[in-house]
Amino acid sequence: MWIYEKSLERPVTISRPDPAFAKLVITQYGGPDGELSASLRYLNQRYSMPTDKAKALYECWHRILQAKLILCEYLYIPAQP
Amino acid sequence: MECGQQLSMLKKFLEMQFIAIELNLYLDTHPCDRDALNDFNCAVDMLTKHKKAYEEEYGPLFNFGFGGHSGEPWEWAKGPWPWEL
Repeated sequence: MWIYEKSLERPVTISRPDPAFAKLVITQYGGPDGELSASLRYLNQRYSMPTDKAKALYECWHRILQAKLILCEYLYIPAQP
Repeated sequence: MECGQQLSMLKKFLEMQFIAIELNLYLDTHPCDRDALNDFNCAVDMLTKHKKAYEEEYGPLFNFGFGGHSGEPWEWAKGPWPWEL
């Protein structure tokens, strides 16, 4: 069911450190309306969806996890000189 | 640096993957759109091509189930990992 692909949806490059922006990224990552809760919401809501189309919401969950991994990389990568 | 070449090959794969995923999501709610279906199938063919080219050069993108056999020594755990490119 879970498959890890050894690549990001999109590569990330950081030109300079920006603590204020990092704060926003952390909120988007795990905050109240962040990717963490959104991904679990999509994953769980599909069980009670009435149609097959709506059950495919599951794929949105996949997209959100990708977004999450990109955000994670923003937080990790040291600024390039 | 060699990473630059790796990244540019990876980007080709990722671009096609992005197209495939977007068409996938569109087709979920528009299953009878024949044009979109053709585009999707083309994108998947291109994706397979780019994936094969990348993996031949830089090792597996998936640990198992979506690639071939591993070369020796075990290739999966070899870097660089995505956040190191």
